[in-house]
Amino acid sequence: MDGQYANDPEWADVTPIPLDDGSNEEVMPLASIAYPPEYIEATSYLRAVMAANEMSERALKLTQDVIALNPAHYTVWIYRAKILFALNKSLEEEMAWLNKVSLKYLKNYQIWHHRQVLMSSREHFPTIPPKELDFLMEMFAQDSKNYHVWTYRHWLVRHFKLWDSPREIEDIDALLKADVRNNSAWSHRYMLRFSPREEDVPDSGLANAGDMSTTPADKGRLAIVDEDMVDAELEYAQKAIVLAPENRSPWWYARGVLRAAGRGLGEWEEFAGRFVEGDAVKSTHAVELLAEVYAEDGEKGQKAVDLLTLLKERYDPIRKNYWDYRIKQIEVDV
Amino acid sequence: MPPIVAGKHRRKVRFSSSNQPPPTASDPATSQQKRPGTSVKHSKVSSARIMATQELPRAGIPELFTQPPSVQDPLATESSDLQSATIEKCLPFLKGIQSSQQGPFNAHGVPALQRDDHIAYLYDSLEDYPSGFVILDASRPWMSYWGLAGLFMIGEDPTRFRSRLLQTLRPAQNRTGGFGGGHGQISHLAGSYAAVLSLAIVGGEEAFSVIDRHAMWQWLGRLKQADGGFRVCEGGEEDVRGAYCVMAILTLLDLPVELPPNVEARKAGLENLTDGLAQYLSRCQTYEGGISGSPGVEAHGAYAYCALACLALLGPPEETLTRHMNLPLLLSWLSARQYAPEGGFSGRTNKLVDGCYSHWVGGCWPIIQSALDGKPQANGPPSTTVGSLFSREGLTRYILSCCQAKHGGLRDKPGKHPDSYHTCYVLAGLSAMQHYHYRTDRSVTSDRNFASAFSWKSTPIREGNVYEKSDRLEPLHPLFGIPFPRPTNCGSGAKLALCRPTRKRSR
Repeated sequence: MDGQYANDPEWADVTPIPLDDGSNEEVMPLASIAYPPEYIEATSYLRAVMAANEMSERALKLTQDVIALNPAHYTVWIYRAKILFALNKSLEEEMAWLNKVSLKYLKNYQIWHHRQVLMSSREHFPTIPPKELDFLMEMFAQDSKNYHVWTYRHWLVRHFKLWDSPREIEDIDALLKADVRNNSAWSHRYMLRFSPREEDVPDSGLANAGDMSTTPADKGRLAIVDEDMVDAELEYAQKAIVLAPENRSPWWYARGVLRAAGRGLGEWEEFAGRFVEGDAVKSTHAVELLAEVYAEDGEKGQKAVDLLTLLKERYDPIRKNYWDYRIKQIEVDV
Repeated sequence: MPPIVAGKHRRKVRFSSSNQPPPTASDPATSQQKRPGTSVKHSKVSSARIMATQELPRAGIPELFTQPPSVQDPLATESSDLQSATIEKCLPFLKGIQSSQQGPFNAHGVPALQRDDHIAYLYDSLEDYPSGFVILDASRPWMSYWGLAGLFMIGEDPTRFRSRLLQTLRPAQNRTGGFGGGHGQISHLAGSYAAVLSLAIVGGEEAFSVIDRHAMWQWLGRLKQADGGFRVCEGGEEDVRGAYCVMAILTLLDLPVELPPNVEARKAGLENLTDGLAQYLSRCQTYEGGISGSPGVEAHGAYAYCALACLALLGPPEETLTRHMNLPLLLSWLSARQYAPEGGFSGRTNKLVDGCYSHWVGGCWPIIQSALDGKPQANGPPSTTVGSLFSREGLTRYILSCCQAKHGGLRDKPGKHPDSYHTCYVLAGLSAMQHYHYRTDRSVTSDRNFASAFSWKSTPIREGNVYEKSDRLEPLHPLFGIPFPRPTNCGSGAKLALCRPTRKRSR
């Protein structure tokens, strides 16, 4: 083999393990790749140092080369994290490098898990580094709904107990101000306000969930409710709805808030009614909410059916079968 | 389930005149859903409100699929601009008037499935890739799976690839259990899932014997977490993909449910691989009703499928889904994934349609339908059913009108290149929607564990279709994504070997 590593005296003691991609004289493997020679070489040395579980500077440098050639190589990321800790490397430097890689490869699982593994070291990061959230906002400027970044941010909140940190809600407000339809930001907001945060309760999207003693209908119900906060969140949702009434996000956020507080949809009847004037509908979500309010009131079952029929026939016919199912549910109850 | 890397790249094998490498997974110019306007830059929309265009659609297409939605907000934001641009881009395809559409069109204005083109694309997807595809090196078991599953659905015989598949997977298996993306890569649940499914598709004793089941079982035990979920690999992240992949592997390989001795999870008091798993999935349901990749994140269609399929593997869905999910809330969110006029599914609230959700979101429906239909009473379809709760017509139109690439292969949406990930999962969505999937009171295995998972059957839906009989695909098992297992006499307890594909129909 003649290449960067083969000619490097630093690597002379390593016998590379050549790639076995399943090819042999008789059989061609499926979906084989004509790997670039530098990738073939780097991964051959990677197999060798990994087999020896080598924790060294040269192995660290090698992982960087492999990542540059294929950032989706999950194995090399995990190996890299091990080496960083074994050699007690500066994780600040690693983060600075990682930021550049992250902006280059936006849709990558490995980068964000790697970041989490590093950041979870209390020894290196007893508190959240000051620029961490700025970097996440930089990522959101590229893709404000990047699932990996949001997953990481959720983890940060739990790890550093940031639920009530002003910066969290400020960033959410800024993102929703830029795009009130950013459902990822709404979801993060719900987590900040209503997800369980007690040490002895496992992480959950909804309070009161995943416990043998609770039933699915009660998922999301808080044991203790801060009514002022609930009112403020409902008002926040209403302001967002007024801007764009057909935006699903704040309507379902508000339902989640009411659910958490154990309050019915009834208190939103007047508000929802503003978007439905006879046949003139400004929001299908308002129609649906009103239908539910009426359905709960046994005597208004027919009104509920009429509204759902309006959705089915006129405003949301792609979901006809679902609306029919909902209508049938009401008729059964009545 | 999103692949390890986005497998969303144009195959260059069919276009060998081009020397350009494919875009990398995160090339800013091609990365999906990146920046407003990049993916749809040719259709600038200044306002969120789209006007109906003047060009007339073909006959037979309802207005629902040729006009913008009747309720639209005037306020324009990044999300609504992207949504409007997508509708504008889809409308000529939905109307059947886009010059690149091949046809022939049927009486409903729907183009035929370009069967031969897709078959050629799928065969090609299993062959050699140029050097730019090095970024798929960790996803090679997926590449096999997507190609083989696609070929099976479209009526080809994937068993002809048996020996090549075995050659491909042998070096990817680790002595410590499980499969990685390839030689020297640590074992990963996604790669192992794709490997096991691929082996099940080609079937046979030899395929089964490749897998070191004992080592696999021990490895799965090491991935188990105290909160009930699973990491995707040792040192890797924990998410709902992991949970589903473990259950699919466990069930297909008929592995012991008990945790191996001396694994970390036993110290947390767990005894079985399945302990706490349903509760973990329950905690992934969000206030919107959908399911997130891990607790507390945004509801997402691909993770919803993983969670629901996992629950339906754990036990009968009328028990596991109703026990662990708020079903009315889930239904509401799932139903809202279908948009008009596009007809296809989106993965999250206020995100765009994407052909791959035809499988991830579409695949949730048979599981939910089965949960709502209740305990199966006979060895045939239930006497009453809630039926399809989504628009089969809409999904058909999106898939056949918008997702077929001119030269074969299927895609996310118009303007995107096809790739084998989308080709497989768009076909899977089409296939699922063409069949009625139900459970019977009989399992094809004698095993008491997971009997429900092996009690599914399917029958073609013959009424209300807007596609032609010649567009019909073979059914896939709704939980495993492989041909329906059928009883054979090739070995005891060897569930994988049971999963031999039925002979393809002659066409």
